[in-house]
Amino acid sequence: MSAAPAAPLRASAWDRFWFAPAAATRLVPVRVGAALLGLALLWTWAADDGLLVGPGGVVTPEVLAAWRAPTALSLHDLGGAWTVLLVAHAAALLFLGLGAATAVAAPAAAILHASLLHRGPLLAGPGDDVLAVILWCLVVARSGDERSVDRLLADRAGRAPSPSWRNRTALGLLRVHASVLAAAAVVAQLKADVWWNGTAAWHLAAREGSRLDVAGILAGSEILTNVVTHAITLFEIAFAAGVWPRRTRRAAALAGLVGWPLVGLLAGEPAWGAALAILAVACLPEREG
Amino acid sequence: MARTPPADRDGTAPRAARGTAAAPVAAEPGAGMPGDTLRAVATALLALYLVGLALCVATNTSSGTSMLLGGLQDRLFAPWMVPAWLDLGHDTHLTYGLPEDGDHHVEIVPQGAGARAIRLPEARDRSGRAARWRRLARAWATAEEQGDEVAGPLAEAIGAVSLDLAGADDVVVRLRRSIVPERAAAAAGPTVDTVVAGRARVVGEGDEAELEWIPMPPAEELAPLVGRPEGAR
Repeated sequence: MSAAPAAPLRASAWDRFWFAPAAATRLVPVRVGAALLGLALLWTWAADDGLLVGPGGVVTPEVLAAWRAPTALSLHDLGGAWTVLLVAHAAALLFLGLGAATAVAAPAAAILHASLLHRGPLLAGPGDDVLAVILWCLVVARSGDERSVDRLLADRAGRAPSPSWRNRTALGLLRVHASVLAAAAVVAQLKADVWWNGTAAWHLAAREGSRLDVAGILAGSEILTNVVTHAITLFEIAFAAGVWPRRTRRAAALAGLVGWPLVGLLAGEPAWGAALAILAVACLPEREG
Repeated sequence: MARTPPADRDGTAPRAARGTAAAPVAAEPGAGMPGDTLRAVATALLALYLVGLALCVATNTSSGTSMLLGGLQDRLFAPWMVPAWLDLGHDTHLTYGLPEDGDHHVEIVPQGAGARAIRLPEARDRSGRAARWRRLARAWATAEEQGDEVAGPLAEAIGAVSLDLAGADDVVVRLRRSIVPERAAAAAGPTVDTVVAGRARVVGEGDEAELEWIPMPPAEELAPLVGRPEGAR
């Protein structure tokens, strides 16, 4: 019977994708990038002496009660701990970036990040969302096994690094999210005429928040505006699909490293672009590390 | 019966169980893979999460969702995905080219001679902090236009913060929206609309002082100024 080996083969492919031991090499730039992005975003939350989400800020308990989902939880709800939690949040991200006590720093950073977003859900942007996903993926991984303070300490104790299935699971989750996020974005975009008639790039560039000063150039050329708009759509589709086949994975990931930050800058969402670039790093084949 | 060696600290299968002839493992996981039990648990958790992710993407969209998917998501997945901030649709559309996609800002005008107006964020401010203020202003605009219950508390909170920022006890607050023109009309520049306007002032003194937020109707809702007929007194 030819159908008999199918189940073990499928199980084997699943196991290889999610559980084959992997070194932490590819997760090092993810860990450092996530920590730096987290610190940059934390700075924007704490701006204006907490005028946005701090005590006495715009997001009052009444606003939160009307906005938040009933199942939302935040350590900031404990009250009176705004500054302490901010410091703890910054420390967790710093430790995560350095790879010091990573097993504690990673979950602490993920919990504190989610808590902060629940403190001001109406102010959270797509960059915050993607970073939350990355931080939870790092909780699964043993990302501190290489290029880290943890590694230095382990070397002194004579413990050699060993590949872990948890790193593979985290890399798998990061790749799934990279593809899903790109696909979801392109599906959302293609609901609107501006992405079909080629003028979306103009609407992005002409906004105050855009970080690329190309509105003048796009205003002078309809063809160029069309090219940029359609290039964004095609790039997103190619990335979502391209991170899966072995032959295209490296090219798609490298394109993501350049493409996502550029789209983010044009759209005035640089944190979102940076977060997706971090996901693109996780999609690079491991031998490239 | 041979005693199974203990697993590694991350649950990795012991060497004797790593696909060797002595202890064959289903699906030939190979060296360093987690043991059978741990792999089964991890697989179940991964499958659960991936279903949750698919439901989040399917249900968190501006197009709405079916009652079945929405119900499943709300009852089975939201209770643990919402606290972790993983209940996300990821439908980042960037722009639909609609007025709502324009830049929003808050304008605070203290009442009284010589007072300087405050703009949040300042014009051409592209910082991350400015992006948060724009997001806040946009959330306020959406809440007002959709008649959301958060609109009232949000207006009062912004009014209170406006009073603090202006150092005054009477300010007019306007939520302004810059609508990006069509590309062919780029030279005309953006059109600026007022989405919401209101007056925030402190009423009473000392311990009895409290904030009063008085919504101001849009200009088009005011009665037109009609010229008095000639000869009328």
